[in-house]
Formats: sequence, structure tokens, C-alpha cells
Amino acid sequence: MNRRQFVKDVLLWTAGLSIGVPCIDMSVISARSAVPLLGVATGGNYALLVSKALESIGGTSQFVNNGDKVVIKPNMGWDRSPEQGANTHPLVMKALAELALDAGASKVRVFDYTCNEKRRCYANSGIIDALRSIGDKRVSWEHIDHRKFVPVDIKKGKSLKRWEIYKEALTADCYINVPVAKHHGLSRLSLGLKNSMGIIGGNRGKLHHDLGQQLADLATVVQPQLTIIDATRMLLRNGPQGGRESDVKVANTVIASADPVASDAYATTLFGLQPGDIDSTVAAYNMGLGEMDLERMDIITAQV
Amino acid sequence: MKGVKRKVNNTAGRGIILRRMSQIIFFLVFLVLFLKTDYTGSDQLSGAVNLLFRLDPFLAACVMLGMQAVIVVMLPALAVLLISLFFGRGFCGWFCPMGTLLDFFSKILPNKGKKIATYFPNFPLYLLIFSIIGSVFGIAFSGFVDPFSILVRGMAQAIYPAFNTLTVNFFTFTYQEMPGFVNWVTEPVYDILKHWVLPSQQKYFHLAYLSLLTLVVVFLLEGIQRRFFCRNICPLGAMLSLVAQRGSMVGVGGSEACGVCQICHKSCRIGAIDSDRTIDMAACNLCLECVVKCPREIISFSFGRQKRTSGVVSFSRRRFLGAALTGMMLPSVKKIEPIILNPEPQLIRPPGAITEKDFLQRCVRCAECVQVCIGNALQPAFLQAGFDGMFSPMLVARTGYCEFNCTLCGQVCPTGAIRELTQKDKWQVKIGHAWFDKNSCLPYAKGIPCMVCEEHCPTSEKAIRFRLVQMIGSENQPVTVKQPYIVDELCIGCGICEFKCPIPGKSAIYLTSAGEHRNPEAALPVAKVGLYGS
Repeated sequence: MNRRQFVKDVLLWTAGLSIGVPCIDMSVISARSAVPLLGVATGGNYALLVSKALESIGGTSQFVNNGDKVVIKPNMGWDRSPEQGANTHPLVMKALAELALDAGASKVRVFDYTCNEKRRCYANSGIIDALRSIGDKRVSWEHIDHRKFVPVDIKKGKSLKRWEIYKEALTADCYINVPVAKHHGLSRLSLGLKNSMGIIGGNRGKLHHDLGQQLADLATVVQPQLTIIDATRMLLRNGPQGGRESDVKVANTVIASADPVASDAYATTLFGLQPGDIDSTVAAYNMGLGEMDLERMDIITAQV
Repeated sequence: MKGVKRKVNNTAGRGIILRRMSQIIFFLVFLVLFLKTDYTGSDQLSGAVNLLFRLDPFLAACVMLGMQAVIVVMLPALAVLLISLFFGRGFCGWFCPMGTLLDFFSKILPNKGKKIATYFPNFPLYLLIFSIIGSVFGIAFSGFVDPFSILVRGMAQAIYPAFNTLTVNFFTFTYQEMPGFVNWVTEPVYDILKHWVLPSQQKYFHLAYLSLLTLVVVFLLEGIQRRFFCRNICPLGAMLSLVAQRGSMVGVGGSEACGVCQICHKSCRIGAIDSDRTIDMAACNLCLECVVKCPREIISFSFGRQKRTSGVVSFSRRRFLGAALTGMMLPSVKKIEPIILNPEPQLIRPPGAITEKDFLQRCVRCAECVQVCIGNALQPAFLQAGFDGMFSPMLVARTGYCEFNCTLCGQVCPTGAIRELTQKDKWQVKIGHAWFDKNSCLPYAKGIPCMVCEEHCPTSEKAIRFRLVQMIGSENQPVTVKQPYIVDELCIGCGICEFKCPIPGKSAIYLTSAGEHRNPEAALPVAKVGLYGS
């Protein structure tokens, strides 16, 4: 190695560090400009559900370009089985990973900062087995590596000004948020915005003090290109981790949208609630992060 | 003799190589079993990761005689006694991982001026008798002096987690401070280490220093005398000596005719050869050094009848009585500790733990449960369980919580101090109870909504629920807030609420041993019954 190469490397590396420290700013450029598209598919074949919902909003290639490094972020925070509805369904994850590969993703990475013991969650959610069954080396999963949390200034944040966020989620070419729709004791429902808590570090419990606003603040910097809400199984009670199948409603529904607020708003109605009932949806809407009025969405439903 | 090239005794030379290989292989097996004492992706552990403690006749004797029960998983220990019948203390020289470590340390510690004669040849026997009789009379001492307990404790509660810190810090440094080309090398190395060697998470331990210290002292004693621990302390060794003395392996040492070099006497690591060059088979661990070193090649081992002249396990009646009486008397001191009257509220035992008295009797402080606990919930107790309860496992929820679906501690416990529970039983077993500190819990103290405890509560029907309450907030404003409360019948005391409570420092929800299933005295008060004179 020569001196020039060394300096280059050092610069490269310090850039990485300084990006990490104060200046990641992924503020919203424009939202609420157009009518958001929402794809909703219902039916028993989960792989078809995912592709159909995506098709309705333009297909995977709208979001994943050839050679993209894709992150698919499920909710697999709990040591629960797929039937218990606390985690994203493994078949939804598998279908999505396959679609991303078909669209030319060079890498598909999956991770979540779990609440229960990480290895148990990864295994018992069924997601790792499902991903492994694809048998493609481009698909990988990792446990959260604490070295990769970088402090991020949340410039538009009203309640949350700065927090540690997982670098791999911020630097992905395409970040796909795949929450499972379920009940939650404080925020009433856990949907897309809530799922972003799985890529942040620090003492996450502190966020619960003003949860709705803080989730909206977080959404100003964690901006998935695509949100897929897994409502194949809906945990109606004793969320967010449940544990009883009697609390689970099999709804066989998948929602897809580029608008993180619109998808949450729509999913809320599946529980018999109004979008306005969910604090984070309202807060995010008020900050211009997306649409919450169902009348102002282009909702394309499909039966599979 | 100078100038004459000494013939190396080939057979014995090969024997030494074999012995060293055996030591290394069994030490590696021990390390692998130690690393495998962990969750491996399935609810059930495969293989006997606690093998070492199943092979320990000293612990087996103490626990079984103490409990007057046969513990099946510890029966393989009989095989070790059987081996001793034929090969003396070969176990110590060929298999024992502690012995292997000590041989290693004696190589790196200065080797001058070490006394040849064993300092306290009778003390191991004294410890053996005291431990066994003590067990029968109700004091569990074996875990403090057993070589495997000392070893695994030190590894699990100090060396392994400290090694992880060191490694993670190093690779954090390279990751954050080094240019990319360094990381091309270091990151794959780190990945390999994470996959094969490092624990899945950093653990934190009370008594980390004490666990390390006991082990390090054993190592350092090697500087005073070779195999100091084995000769002067190890009660397991004493037990094997008792058998070896009656066994069929005989060592033919030197004689008057052999000259006066005394090389065998001076070089014996365990002090089995006296200055008259007789080999005491109760001490000899068959390391074969003397066979190789003897210039006249007259030392040999064979099967036969021993002349019973052991200085290691000969014991006067008075000493025996002394050891036995200590074992009988000390339990009465244990009985005047206040925890007998009033159990320590912080002493929360692992799920499946049997009643406290029996638990302490069975627990051999081997730290297998502490090592396997995937939540870092189990900690070695200090004085919470009484003086002799030190190093027994207890749940400290602020450092870790009991994972709802996990049953590993019961699977690795070699003595049945922690029963193996099915997952279904585990979901029901109440090991303690959660209480709110309403002075610090946000919805109570400040009218601020918070639900982290409720969110994490794992029982399918949540043991933490909310009441909607109107109150005056911390700025004197009226607020409506959800206040959490505990449903007594549902709380199993896993401690995830205490662990996850976001209040810094002392948690606003905390566990006590109240209501634990194994103690009917600790049952929670039920309002309906009118326990308190209502």
C-alpha cells in the first residue's frame, strides 16, 4: 500500500464515522403531494398475497433496483411461534425476499433488535428457517451488532431530538418495513411506525413516555421505501407479544404502500378502529409524513 | 556414568506422550462442553454438557448421602471409582481438566525451591470426611472445595465473560478506528470467533472477582509446590486415593540397590515417591515421569497386590473424629442464621428449584445453570442464602430476566437441585412476585403514561394490566392515566418487568420471593380469606 491509498482509506473510514456522529439527515423532502397508492390483498396463499399487493402499487421493481442492497425489517421481537401472531409471518418474509431477489437485489439482509432473547426469537418466529429455505446466498440475517448503532440527529423531531439508529438500516438502498399488525397496550396498535423501534438502540423503554410523537419523530429519519403490513394474523388482545391463539384473528390480509402513514391508517381499520385513534398516525400525519385520510388514498384491493 | 548415552525407556516415553495427549484431549472436551452449555437453537439441549459433574464421585457422595437419595445422572461417577480401582489416581494425571491446567501453570511458574514432601497430606481426607458428614447433617460444603466446581465457576463467572469483553472491545476498536483494509481481515476473524467461541451476549456477574480469585489461588499455589491443590486440598483426590490404596495397580520403585540419585523422589509431581523410593499408590497419578527419568530404568507399574503403606490416607481415629464432629456441629451454626426465620426476599431461585433446605443440600455450586442462563438472570448468591449458600444461583432481575419459554437451567443441573421442567410447567411455576414502587413508577408518581412492564409481561393472559385512573399530574394538572397493576395469580416472577423498567437505577417494579411455589409459607395473602383478622 502506498501513502495515497492509506490516506484514501483513512478518509473513507473517517467519513463513515463522521456520518455516524452528527450529520445523518434524511428529512422529508415532500410528502402528501400526490394521492398515495395502497395495495391490499386478501387470500390464503401468503406468497401470492405479497406479490399481488405489491403489484397493485407498481410491482417490486418500483422499489428495488438491480444491484440494490435491500434490508427487509420484520417484527421478530418475541419468542413466539407464527401462529401466535406476535411476529411477522415467515411466509410473508420469504415471499418478499424472493421478490426482492427477482427484482435484482444484490443483497437481502434481515435483522431486528429483539425484546426476548435474540436467538430464540430468530428461531421460533420461523423466519430464519423460511429464509434459509430460499437457498440463496444473497439472503442473509444477522443479530444486532451494537457497534453499528450510530447517533442520529432528528432535526425535525418535536419530542425526540437524537437517538441511536442501526447503520445498516439507514444505509440500505431499499429499506422495507414489514410489521405485523397487532394489539399494543399503550399505543393501542403496533404497526409500521412502531416497528421502526426494532432498529434503534439505547434505552428504548424511555420512548414510551410520549410514544405517538416520538414514533413520528423517528419516522422523519427512518424512512422505508416500502411498507408491507402483515395482517395475515392479527393479534387482537394481550399484545404486543400475545401467546394465545385464541387472541389471534386470521385475517389473511397484506397491505403494501410507499406511504408509511397511509398503510398504518388503513391497517387500523382492520381492527375496527379509526386512523385518528392511533397517536403515532396522527402525529406523523401532522408532520406531513404521509396520508391518514382513507378518502384521499388510492386503495386497490385484490382477492387472491 | 558420564559419557554413556542413556537409553530412553521407549515404552514409558510413549506413555508420557499418550498421557499428555489424553490430558489435552480431555481438556478440549471440557472446553467444548463448557461452550456448548448454551442455547443451541432448540428448546432441549442435546448431549450431557454437564458431564464433568456426573463423573465426580466426591460430589455424588456428598449429595446422595446428604439427601439419602440416588441421583441417577450422577451414577457415572461410579465408573471413575472403578477406574481408580485399577489405575489408582490415573484420573488425576490423565483426565482431570484442573490437573491439566495445574500442570500447565507449573510449567510457566518459577520452579525453584519447591518443597518435595506434601505440606498437608492428610488435609484432603479431612475435607472429604467433613464434607460428607456435613452433608448428612445439613451443611453443603462440597461445592467450595470440589475442583470442577471451582473451575467451572471461575470460567463461567469471570474468565469467559471477561474474555468476551476484551475481544468485543478489540474488534470494536478495529471497526471504529481502523481503516477498511484492516477490517477486511479483522471482521471475518470476529465473525468466526462469534460463531464458535464467544458467548452470544455479554454477561455480568456478581462475585466475578471472587469466582476468579478462588481459581487463580489454586493456580498460584502451583508456585509453592507442584500439584499443590491436588495433594493438599482436593477431596475428590482423597476419595480416589482411598480406592487406589485398595486397588490393583502397583508401582515398583527403587530399592537400596538402585543407587542414591533420588531423581524419582525429587521429580514426582504429586509427592508419591518418598526418599526411600517407595511409590505410594494412593498418591501416584501415573504421570510416568519417574519411569522415564530413572537412570537405571527399574521403575515400573503393573497389576498386583499392594503393600498398604500409604501416608496419604492413613488417618488417626482422633483426626477422623475431629473431621466428623466438625461436620456434625457446623450445621447448628447454620441454623441460627436469620434467613431460617425469615427468607431473604431477594433470594429468588431458578424455576424448578426444590425447597430451600434441600436446594442448598443438592446444589454443588457448579455454575452450570449460571453459564447456561440465556438471560443473564442467574447470579451467584453472596450472603443472601446464608454463609454456606454462597455461589448458589439466584435470579437478579435487574441484570437479567428469566426467559419465558426457556427451561435450560433445569436441564443442566447435575443434582436435581433445579428440577427439569417441561415448557408447559415452566409457564406456570411461580418463582417470585412483582411489586410496584408507586413512588417512582411513572403513571403513579407523575401521571406520565408508561407501559414497558405490561408490554413485556410474557404470560399469555397478562399478569400486568391497567386501570384508567384520574389523578393530579406532577404539574398539578388533572390527568387521566393508565396505571398498571399485578394480577397475583398470573404473575410467575420472571422479572422481565424489572429488567426492562426504564426508570434509571432502582426499578419501579421489582421482584421478591413472595409467593414462590416451593414454599407454602410464602403464599401471597388473599383478601377473600380474611387472613388478617378482617
